Amino acid sequence: MFDDPLLWARLQFALTAGIHYTFVALTLGMAALILVSQFSAVLRGDAARLAAVRFWGGLYVVNYGMGVLSGLVMELQLALNWNGLNEVFGHVVSAPLAVETVAAFFAESTFLGLWIFGWDRMNRWLHLACFGVVTLTAYLSAFWVLVSNGFLKNPVGFEMRGGVAVLTDPVALVTNPSALLAFGHVATSTLLVGGLVTAGVSAYHLRRGSDPEGMFRRGVRRGVLAASVALLPTAAAGGAQYPLLFDPPASSGTTLDAAEIERIEAAGSGLVRVLAETGNAVMALVWTVFFLVLPLALLAWPLRGLDRWRWLQWLMPVLPVLALLAGVGGWVYRELNRQPWTVRHHLTTAQAVTELSPGLALLSFVLFTGVFVVLAGITGWLLVRFARRGPAGGPLAPAPPPDSGAAVPVHSY
Amino acid sequence: MELVAVVLLVGLLAGYSVLAGCDIGLGMLSPYVARTPEERRRVVSAAAPYFLGSEVWLVAAVGVTAGLFPQIEGEVVAGQWPLFVLLLAGWLVRDAGLWLRGRVAAAAWHAVWDTAVVAGSWAVALAWGLVLAALLGGGALPLLFTPLCVAAVALLFLLRGAAFGAERLVPVAGRTGAESAEAAARATRVLARAGLVVLPVAAAAAWLDGGVRAGAPALAVAAAVTAVLAVTAGVSGPRWSRPTSAAAMASLPVLAAVGGQVSAAVADPRSLVLVAVATAPMVPVLAVGQVWLYRMVRRPAPESGFFA
Repeated sequence: MFDDPLLWARLQFALTAGIHYTFVALTLGMAALILVSQFSAVLRGDAARLAAVRFWGGLYVVNYGMGVLSGLVMELQLALNWNGLNEVFGHVVSAPLAVETVAAFFAESTFLGLWIFGWDRMNRWLHLACFGVVTLTAYLSAFWVLVSNGFLKNPVGFEMRGGVAVLTDPVALVTNPSALLAFGHVATSTLLVGGLVTAGVSAYHLRRGSDPEGMFRRGVRRGVLAASVALLPTAAAGGAQYPLLFDPPASSGTTLDAAEIERIEAAGSGLVRVLAETGNAVMALVWTVFFLVLPLALLAWPLRGLDRWRWLQWLMPVLPVLALLAGVGGWVYRELNRQPWTVRHHLTTAQAVTELSPGLALLSFVLFTGVFVVLAGITGWLLVRFARRGPAGGPLAPAPPPDSGAAVPVHSY
Repeated sequence: MELVAVVLLVGLLAGYSVLAGCDIGLGMLSPYVARTPEERRRVVSAAAPYFLGSEVWLVAAVGVTAGLFPQIEGEVVAGQWPLFVLLLAGWLVRDAGLWLRGRVAAAAWHAVWDTAVVAGSWAVALAWGLVLAALLGGGALPLLFTPLCVAAVALLFLLRGAAFGAERLVPVAGRTGAESAEAAARATRVLARAGLVVLPVAAAAAWLDGGVRAGAPALAVAAAVTAVLAVTAGVSGPRWSRPTSAAAMASLPVLAAVGGQVSAAVADPRSLVLVAVATAPMVPVLAVGQVWLYRMVRRPAPESGFFA
């Protein structure tokens, strides 16, 4: 079993995608909240609120770095390890990914650079606009990736010509319900993540009695509000996808006939089903916890409990961890449910993998999964460290005056 | 239609070579130009804003290759699996160094990530040399030509980094410490002269190996690079090295396109339309962002910032 290159390629993709998504969820959710905070700070010209944006923005940028690193590997491992998919469906699944890189990631990274280096150097409205582009392109990026992913689940808008899939209907590809519902679910559930991270970090500081210029009192309220707003839409967009899991795609039967499809599906592994259902259960359980806790937090708001109730302040920092776990669980469920197919009813996972020797597949797995685990560990540690440290000394904290280090102490009398 | 897609891809790769050549080359050169902890910090501070704007060109090129040229992707990327794994590993290690270096104020932490930046930069440049050799050699790595091609590509990256460092490592007005900038400036001439020796030898090796399809256009591009290096190697010092090293770097993807033995892959028209329609509205935004970013970081690197 362990000398099967397919196993290593799948494990590598699953683990790297799981780690990648965890950071992506944080990026998406925090971007929306930071944009609102910065808008509010710039509108009021409030230095205290801008200091808070620097704090949350510092966490955002540290997290974004890991998102980019893992995204690079995601993009290239599709080319390296999944050549069978590219050979047959390259024109269709890779076109949205091409759009993602050019139209979304390109702008996101460039404007994030401008935002990082534009503090104190740029007109504040232009600086806000830079983060507006960063937020917009982050969602755009998620959309195009999900167009590609949605096609795997529900292949539409293509024709097989000479064994190669050719895109015939770009509109059908982009409006694939499997992609649109997944995007709705990702957009709302990451807002839930962003809200819970903001509320959790704020509650931690409030519990310790640290609240410089009211930033964490505002943070806990904004976080609870965002998470509560996103709670029900998350479940709605997620639940609406369940019927799609079991209906055969409309294009079923155009590559393989019904008997072949049945034979391939019957050979599916039982372990995969168990893992998929575990992912689903984790997701549903975590959502239920939020469904019980968030109304309590909303109730605590007018009673000033968010600022005073210790048990609530202990509970809140745990919630973002649960939310990230649920995100991974959701992906495990979605992706494993598609097995044994890579493109449902058209291409099996065994056909999609590059023909690699077991040694190379293992090398790739050890190299990239190992680097991912180390980098994710370091980034997670840095995030917790900066979140606990608070606004002073964060990654985006204002630089000390240029001559503070070289200045000779002046004794004034 | 196919020509549009090819020009787009070569354009993205040329943009990557010119822009990323700066920060990758300076990363390779940093053990030479930065001897003290303060100098090493400034090197990262100088390179870091660039890499955010430059590596997106390669990400976009990979995306366009996958979306519009799935055959090339299968043939080149999966066909040269170990080379691209080396490239990806170097890229990952280098970016990790740049992202993480400034996050903890400890000498050992800085040493680890500075090493990662240097090793990653070298791995990326050497991997590109190998990829170019494989493309020109039609999939195989020719015995004589490969090491010379790798050396020539590494020299061009170093030259680009030195030219960049000679300008960007100049201290901010009123500060001392121009040693790094001067070392980089001196290096431009040495590197250009070394390139002048290596390039003709590489061309001769390509001819001797026989397996390399040199072709007239490929030779013309190589001659243009040699001419560019000759200008830089002269007595005027690093003055012309920014534009000349840029021209030399930009010619690498052109060389790969005209001399590479890659079967002409037809971009599927509908996929091309989807990519064109979906990206066209963003192009002005991209142009504004890139110009704005590079104008903002054109000045000498500040003493401290997010990355260092």
